[in-house]
Amino acid sequence: MKLLLIAFCLVLLTTFTTNADVPKPKSPDKQAKQILHTGLEIVPDPKIYEAKLQMSQSTFNNLRAALDGGSGSSPVVGGIAFSAPRTIVAGLLMFMAVSVAGVLIARSSSFGRAQKTIGAALLVAVLLGAAAIITRGNAGPPGSWRWRNLPQSLAEGKSTVGGVDIEIVPDDQMDSRTMRLLIPLKKQNSPGEE
Amino acid sequence: MQNALELKTWPSARVAPDAKAFIAIMVLCVVSAAAFASWLPLQVSIVTLFLFAGPHNWFELRYFLMRLPIRFGRSRNFFLTAFAGLGVLTLTYLALPFLYNATLWSEEAWYAVMASWNTALLVWLALLVWLRSKQKRGANWKWTIPVALALCSLNWLGPDLFSLAIVYVHPLIALWFLDRHIRRTRPAWSCAYRRCLWLVPLVLAAMIWQLSLATPLADNNGLFWRITQHSGAEVLPQVSSHMLVSVHLFLEMLHYGVWIIALPLIGRIGSARFWEVRTVPIARHPKGFPRIVAGLLIVALVAVGVLWFGFSFDYSTTRDIYFTIAIAHVLAEAPFLLRML
Repeated sequence: MKLLLIAFCLVLLTTFTTNADVPKPKSPDKQAKQILHTGLEIVPDPKIYEAKLQMSQSTFNNLRAALDGGSGSSPVVGGIAFSAPRTIVAGLLMFMAVSVAGVLIARSSSFGRAQKTIGAALLVAVLLGAAAIITRGNAGPPGSWRWRNLPQSLAEGKSTVGGVDIEIVPDDQMDSRTMRLLIPLKKQNSPGEE
Repeated sequence: MQNALELKTWPSARVAPDAKAFIAIMVLCVVSAAAFASWLPLQVSIVTLFLFAGPHNWFELRYFLMRLPIRFGRSRNFFLTAFAGLGVLTLTYLALPFLYNATLWSEEAWYAVMASWNTALLVWLALLVWLRSKQKRGANWKWTIPVALALCSLNWLGPDLFSLAIVYVHPLIALWFLDRHIRRTRPAWSCAYRRCLWLVPLVLAAMIWQLSLATPLADNNGLFWRITQHSGAEVLPQVSSHMLVSVHLFLEMLHYGVWIIALPLIGRIGSARFWEVRTVPIARHPKGFPRIVAGLLIVALVAVGVLWFGFSFDYSTTRDIYFTIAIAHVLAEAPFLLRML
């Protein structure tokens, strides 16, 4: 009995010890939030003594609107409002469009014409898909392409223009800095270097 | 024998000699329009609208009068539907700004109003296509019904984007008119013209590529703000307003060029003096209406003068009024284009 009691106490103690070793669960890190995509020009200017970040009034307004809106989605897509009545009407009309198209294809006596119709429908679908990818997925040449000659341009005193995403980053992830510009530059190996 | 072989080798590569000048002028116009529209979009937009908006409407009216039959005959239903739809849609469109000022509807309600008007437009177009297909032997345009329904559906998802699409698509309709006109009057030019049309998407792609990251245009005064808004700067705030205005201006310049220069100068119409009322078939015909035609053209000419005066007096307000009333000519193009298909 004493042995059982000692064993019980030992297990209990171990449990406390084990629990004490469990680190406090980490609160998930807040991710940087992209709010706006715009253009940026980096201009070396020997006449100024302090770096300047200039922003057009309209860009600032867009930035403020994006912050107020709190939505990271593109306005192209944001413009497609998801209001219930309009979505229902749109859905019904799309259902009718697909149904009528299906009936027409089924009743079509000439298969070649039906093929053309299906081809046209597929083409429209592909175009819409491509447009969605371009607007939502930033398809096309990567943004780094425009920045690839930045070091050379800076050395020659020329300006470089490229795209920039404005992100709002939590304070604790900025290491006491207030603003930071990250440029997508790949390290270029010199000739003969592996 | 050798000549016969040469003819068979590249039959499609030959361009009619007189078409070469036309193609050269067209390429020059497209490239210069793109250059001006990209370089000084706001300034060129103001000047272009001032100079060409009114005259292009006059030439368009005259072109439509030339295409109007003396008796509607079998096309009676088509024309009745066309004119009734034109009247109702124009009046309701003109009523929208007054309704907006008189009511306190929510934004969502206005989206529904816009979507309803766009749906009415699409239904009217589908009806015209159906009536026209009944007149054409062997024409099977039933596929336009699901297309119209699909467009209606997309319109209800984003009515403002759909309305903006009309603003950008409308100038391109002029190129379609020119295509049909060339096929009727100068068939030898048709192939070269269609090849030339490939230049338009290429130039547009180049403009978008170059201007997509351009600094947004300064819209710090009422007029500049109106121009950028008309091009969709509010609907697409993340797209450079410079690009939007330039692309829209480029398309508008092509539109004006077709109606004022290309169509009056090509083919049978080009050989006639455009200012003479008797050159219009429904005025020349013994059972025609010369006085009505003359009256319409004179009223349109006075309207051009009034428009110029208005632009000189208060450009911004006149611009707003013009683009509201101009919906009539946008709508009128549909039935006349369908009659040419």
